[in-house]
Parts: sequence; structure tokens; C-alpha cells
Amino acid sequence: MVSTINRTEHRILTLIIRTFGEALLTAWAAVTLTFFALRATSGDPTANLLAQGLASPQQVERLRTALFLDQPLFTQYGRFLLGLFKGDLGISFYTNRSVFLTLAEQLRPTLELGTLSVLFMFLFASMLGITAAWWHGKPAGRFASRMADVLTTLPVALVGLLFLYIFSVIRQHSTRPGGFNPYSLLLPAVVLGFSLSGGVARILKSSLREVLKKPYILAARARGLRKNGRLLWFALRPALPPAVSLSALEIAYVFSGTVVTETLFGRPGLGRLLVSSILQSDFPVAQGVITLAALFYTLTHFLARILILLIDPRLRGEP
Amino acid sequence: MRKEMPWFALIWIILAVVGSAAAPLLTPYDPIQPAGAPLEPIGGSLLLGSDQLGRDLWTRLVYGGRATLSASFLAASITICGGIFLGLAASLIGGLLERLLLLLFNATMAVPGLLLAMLFVGGIGPGFPSVILAAGLSGIPGFARLVHSQAESVFRQPYIEAARALGAGRVWLYIFHILPNLRTELLSFGTTYLAWAFTGITTLNFLGLAGDPSIPEWGVLLNTGRSYLIQAPQLILLPGVFISLTILSIFSIGEWLSTERVTERSTNRVEIRNTQEEAL
Repeated sequence: MVSTINRTEHRILTLIIRTFGEALLTAWAAVTLTFFALRATSGDPTANLLAQGLASPQQVERLRTALFLDQPLFTQYGRFLLGLFKGDLGISFYTNRSVFLTLAEQLRPTLELGTLSVLFMFLFASMLGITAAWWHGKPAGRFASRMADVLTTLPVALVGLLFLYIFSVIRQHSTRPGGFNPYSLLLPAVVLGFSLSGGVARILKSSLREVLKKPYILAARARGLRKNGRLLWFALRPALPPAVSLSALEIAYVFSGTVVTETLFGRPGLGRLLVSSILQSDFPVAQGVITLAALFYTLTHFLARILILLIDPRLRGEP
Repeated sequence: MRKEMPWFALIWIILAVVGSAAAPLLTPYDPIQPAGAPLEPIGGSLLLGSDQLGRDLWTRLVYGGRATLSASFLAASITICGGIFLGLAASLIGGLLERLLLLLFNATMAVPGLLLAMLFVGGIGPGFPSVILAAGLSGIPGFARLVHSQAESVFRQPYIEAARALGAGRVWLYIFHILPNLRTELLSFGTTYLAWAFTGITTLNFLGLAGDPSIPEWGVLLNTGRSYLIQAPQLILLPGVFISLTILSIFSIGEWLSTERVTERSTNRVEIRNTQEEAL
């Protein structure tokens, strides 16, 4: 008995180490891709700066030396990786400040928005998913199901604009002076959470429906358990793992949603920084933000996979 | 499970394509030049009113369909051609290079589609052509990964073995046996990636990465219209409705194609779903 438990633990540990190794490899490849994609498409990152008249030829020459652009590509790549380990991501073309510090400043608002939207995502997804499965075939269920479908397809920008429109109309009629401003954090987080909730809601709906069809639910109802909150709780627990694993993966995608939401609501953050750095051809900043996003994705993806392994024993597989 | 053909979606797509193609016949105005006073309401001298510079909204919408739809088709063709080429090449070459390519495809998935597209726009420099190119390029790794896995599963089928026994070379096999047998999958993956290209282009343009706010394009219209949310809500609501209808139509056609035509290999549908969710 004891030896079986040890073997299982051992297997999980091996799987975790393997997943970690894969995550490291993915992170390295993604960072490398970020580095080469910018250079492969632009040839010379300072060319745009010169073409748009944002810098004089002398300034560009100095920048090229500072960025080691006059050296071979692989030397540049080596320096980039080395800098990454030291937390040195270069210097912004535009503000002449350290990219690392610029990112660190903008990280907090994005983290706030991201965290709150994930909470809203869980809230909306469970509301839609449970409604769709519980009242399947009835108007409420059909509406929730349709809503989840539409949400998975609509771009965040559209959902956000619609919310913004509705709220600005309401606000016109009731202007409360001062105090709480819903536009700063709450509304963007609701918008992002709402538009991310579609996929999770769909998974939750289908797995809850599967569970509700199971014989033991019928047996429970035959024993006299009415179709109420207790039965829902009873059915929800086995239905959760797939939804949890998808939402863990979905969190990794929150960042690309914040790019749109931050622009839409004029909120500071990494997303806004990315858009403005691209428009200004501020190449080190854009590279820094996307590198950070790739690392963040790899980390959350890694954690999600570990979580799935721990939740769902079937995925641990046989040796 | 057969699904009913999505008539509404088909009709909308046909209307949108024909309307965009016939844009000059549908409106007497120019999409860039003013046609009346700024911010005219709906139903005045102009059918749908005008924007902040007095340009006719209806004109900008129909010409916008032209820009948005042709850009989406162009971007989707870049994705599809590049994806088929890389996916088949990876499967054909095999060995270490195949594993390297697969690692690259997977690593690209670590950068969400929108960010990857923004990275490309950053590299090429802002502008409408680079938005199209970026939306197309950013889909290639995902598409290639799908093509690769499908090609591998077809490769294991008996008729391929038969063709090999008859002496068919590897390149010949891939071009004349495997590629034609992937057409149903390619059609439904292609629709998915068309939807992604459409979302990508409108979102990138909404973020202002096309650079020029005078381009009549649905995403650009959303971006410029949002400053006039209260005075002229039609400036964002109408392009918003057009974008939503188009994206929902593409998706329901894609879903119909995948349930209708891809039945024999049931894993495909799951995979298509996953990609749809990953792409966005």
C-alpha cells in the first residue's frame, strides 16, 4: 500500500519536473522569437525612427552604437539574453529611461485590472454556465447559452464600447459629483471579465449538463432531493475540473485583453505602454512588454498544467 | 450530428461582400472628403448622418467593408498559405528539424495572437499594410501546427502506405495524396483563421496601429467615433453592429462546416474549438 502511494507521488513529481522543463524551453523559445521577429521584420529597428523624422541621423548613429546594432546579430542576441537575466531590458528611445523601470511602473495598474477581471470572469462564467445547464431548453437557459457563444466570438473592443455607451447614457441622467469613479477600475474590469467569460461558461455548461444526466443524479432525485441549490452543489463539484483548467489557461490570455481595455478606458498600464511604444517606434519598450507577456504566459500556463495534474488524476497517465 | 445551414450568416456575408464590391454604386460621396456639416444626425440630408469632419457615415461604412473584408481575406490567405507550407514541410522533413519547427510553433503560442501581431506591426512600422501583414503572419504558427498534426494522422492511413508501396516519392505523396485529403479540415481551419484575421485587423486598427485615422475601415471607425459617444452614438454603434454581424456569421459558418463536413475524424472538432479559443 505504502509503496503504491510513493510510486504515484514519484510519478507526479517526474511529471512536474518535465512540465517545468518544457515551460523553460518554451519561455526561451518565445523570448528568442520576440527578439528575432522584431529584427527580421524591420531589418533595422532605428529605420522607422529615421523615416518618421523622430531622430536625426547623428542621434540614430549614437543609438545604434548604444544598442550594439553595429555588431553581428548573434552578439546582439547574446547581450539581450544576458541583459534579461540581469533585469536590464535596454533604454527607451523616447524617454531615455531604463525599460525595466518603465515596465515596473506600469505593472501595478495592469495587475490590478487583470486580477479584478479574472474575478469577474469567474463570476460571469459561473452565472452563465450554470444558468445555461440548469435551465437547458428553457428561455433563460437558451439566452445564457447564446450569450456565452456570442461572447466567445466578439472582440473585447466591441463589448467594451457597448458598455461604455450604456454607462455614459446612464451617467448623463444621474451625475453624482465627486467620489467614486467607476471608469477607473471597476468598469474596465467588468468589461474584460465579461468578455473573457464566454469560453469558460461554455465548458462549465457542457460538463454540468453531462453530470446532470448521470444516473446518480437521477437516483438522488428519486430519493426525494428536489431540483434546488443542494442538488446543484451536488452536481457542480464533479463538473468543475474542466472549467477550472480552461479558466487557468484563460488567465494567461488576460494580458492581450488588457491592451484593448486600457486603450478603451484611457487607463495607464502595460497595454497602453505597448500601443504607444509601437506608434512611436520605441522598439526596446515594445520588446520589453512582449517579452514580459510571453514570460507571464509561460508561467501561468505552467501553473495551470500543474493545477490540472493535481485536480484530475486521469491526466497523470500510466507509465 | 447535423446542424442546420446558417442561412442568416451566409446571406449577411454575401450582402457584405457584394455591397463592398459595389461601394461606388451605393453612394454618391467620397469616403475621405466631407459631404455635409460635421456630426449631422441620422435622417438629415445624409442617410446616416456625418462624422466629426462632415464625411458621410454610410459612405464610410460601405467603403469600410471594402477595406476590412479585403484586408481580412488577404491576411487569412497569408496565414493559410504560410501555414500549409510550414506544416507540410515540417511533417515531410521529419527528424530534428521537424522537432525544432514544432518547438517554434509552440513557443509562438506563448505570445497571444494579438501581441504577436503587434510585435510584427512594431517591426514593420505602423500603417494599414503592416496591420494586414501582421494579422496574417501571426496566425501562421497555429495554422501550421494544425496542418502538421492532420498531415501526420493522414500519413498513417492505409492508402498512403499503398501509394508508398507503389513507389510514390515523399514530396509527391504530400502534394498529391495528403494535401487533397486535408481539404475539409483546411476549409474549416481556414474559416476559423479568417475570423481571427478579421478580429485581429479590426482590433489592431481600433488600437490606432494603422496610423491614419482617415482610412475608411470598420476598426478605424470605431476608434475615431468613440470620442463622440454621447453626441453621435451611431458613429460607433453602426460599425459595431457591422463588425459583430460579420464575425458571428464567419463563426457560425465555420462551426457549421466543422460539424457538417468533418465527421469521420472526431478529434478535429475538439482541436478546432481549442484553436478558436486560443486564437482569440
